[in-house]
Amino acid sequence: MVHTKAKVLSKEEVVDNIFKLRFFCPEIASSVAPGQFVHVECGKDKSFILRRPFSVHRQINKDVFEILFQVVGKGTSSLAEMEIGCRLSVIGPLGNGFEVSNDCKSNLLIAGGIGVAPLVFLAEKLLSAEIDFDMLIGCINCKKVIPFELQNNIRDRVYYATDDGSLGFEGTTADLLLEYLRQNGKPSKIFACGPEPMLKRVALIAGQNEISCFLSLEERMACGVGACLSCVCKTKSGYKRVCADGPIFNASDIIWD
Amino acid sequence: MKPNLEVEIAGIKLKNPVMTASGTFGSGFEYSNFVDLSRLGAIVTKGVTLKEQSGNPPPRIHETACGMLNSIGLQNKGVENFITEDLKFLGKFDTPVIVNVAGRTVEEYVKVAEKLSEHDAVKGLELNISCPNVKAGGLAFGSDVEFAIKLTSTVRKATKLPLIVKLSPNVGNIEEIARGVENAGADAVSLINTLLGMAIDIESFEPQLANIVGGLSGPAIKPVAVEMIWRVSNVINIPIIGMGGIANYRDAIEFFLAGASAIAIGTANFTNPEITIKVVEKLEEFLKIKGIKNILDIVGQVKI
Repeated sequence: MVHTKAKVLSKEEVVDNIFKLRFFCPEIASSVAPGQFVHVECGKDKSFILRRPFSVHRQINKDVFEILFQVVGKGTSSLAEMEIGCRLSVIGPLGNGFEVSNDCKSNLLIAGGIGVAPLVFLAEKLLSAEIDFDMLIGCINCKKVIPFELQNNIRDRVYYATDDGSLGFEGTTADLLLEYLRQNGKPSKIFACGPEPMLKRVALIAGQNEISCFLSLEERMACGVGACLSCVCKTKSGYKRVCADGPIFNASDIIWD
Repeated sequence: MKPNLEVEIAGIKLKNPVMTASGTFGSGFEYSNFVDLSRLGAIVTKGVTLKEQSGNPPPRIHETACGMLNSIGLQNKGVENFITEDLKFLGKFDTPVIVNVAGRTVEEYVKVAEKLSEHDAVKGLELNISCPNVKAGGLAFGSDVEFAIKLTSTVRKATKLPLIVKLSPNVGNIEEIARGVENAGADAVSLINTLLGMAIDIESFEPQLANIVGGLSGPAIKPVAVEMIWRVSNVINIPIIGMGGIANYRDAIEFFLAGASAIAIGTANFTNPEITIKVVEKLEEFLKIKGIKNILDIVGQVKI
């Protein structure tokens, strides 16, 4: 991990309130793995002092990476206002990342809302390693679908769920998972990222079906490097740090409230 | 000529007066990617208790204007694990290690102090009598003069190590407590710990922290810290380690002028993981520009 400056190369509001920022930062882009995150200084306004953690969304090449984020508060608002060319202080790559193995015959990637961010990076890695996968993506409605770039030949492997049925399956992402399992049988591994209620249900379904399942978790973070013990989640072996022990956890280890 | 940054606190020789504030720097390991730990004045560790403590449920932090609330609740692996893991790592660096000690009873503090005293790598103890995030001990000791005195004098008898007592700002009369622990055998005091605070989510009507209340830190509390250090420095003769919202060398200079002989950097580590070393470098530069030969020449030099 390094603490360095990353230059904003481009900024795009890909859909209402969801932004994609592209950074030039060889120190991080060259070594980041899917599921890892960066801890970003979000503005010059000294009234907020904490960095914000973002999963790496895509590794464009060995010099350039992207993050995808939703504007939810002052930190992300400020980040969305960054101008092209400015240089931000960034710490990364941080966290453990997703563990993929070649012997996994079928992988299922499940994203809810902005949770698609790290899974696109994972999908790209799986593609280049020629490892098979399908992808389930949930969102409120067809207007909120977050567009992302993936090779065209995998479009038929991506299934959508919307609350109103305006795109794909009508229902929640977890409902789509049940439907997927009925039609396709069990994948060897599930990787999921999304809101907590979704992750909780995905973990439950994976447990009931004895499918190995890994979740990307989120928690309010201060240091980002494992020192302050702010961002903990409850596991079978006590509180674990989302930043340093995660953010990827085996779903069967998590204790939900 | 290079200004002299060396100071001696509670008998511990420091190559410079910049330390880390307990709880914000882990046991150094996590920051060793960013700073050369050998260049720090001292490392003050996360609070250590007799037995492993799980800490408070999340959410444990909430960002506020120019600061943050935390309620970690002294999560730590207990003194035995601290000695075999963290201390072993810290012993490799040419920087004094000061261990922050916490407990629920006087006996617990004593046992932890005794265990740590057996190890040469430990150069001093900082008694945490001011953590706002644990129900028993912690702040309960720090806000009660009699108890602070009893704890200090009891631990004093149990160890030969330099003893620093960390004071809470959440008290009616901080001078009284500072004088009390000085008389009870403390070699130095450190102040201030976090200020009690609370924040509420207006959508859910729930507190922002699972623990309901927490400790406020960061630049927001700096003027409170400067005032308390100035006030305490007028009534005690032992050195003060100043902390509370220091985010750059200019803040640090204020603390020296108010009466601190050393300073500690806490929350600012989260903003910039290299801030400790940057403050060391900038302090030296400042003294050089001002023609001041020794950092001690500005301690307590505020002109009133």
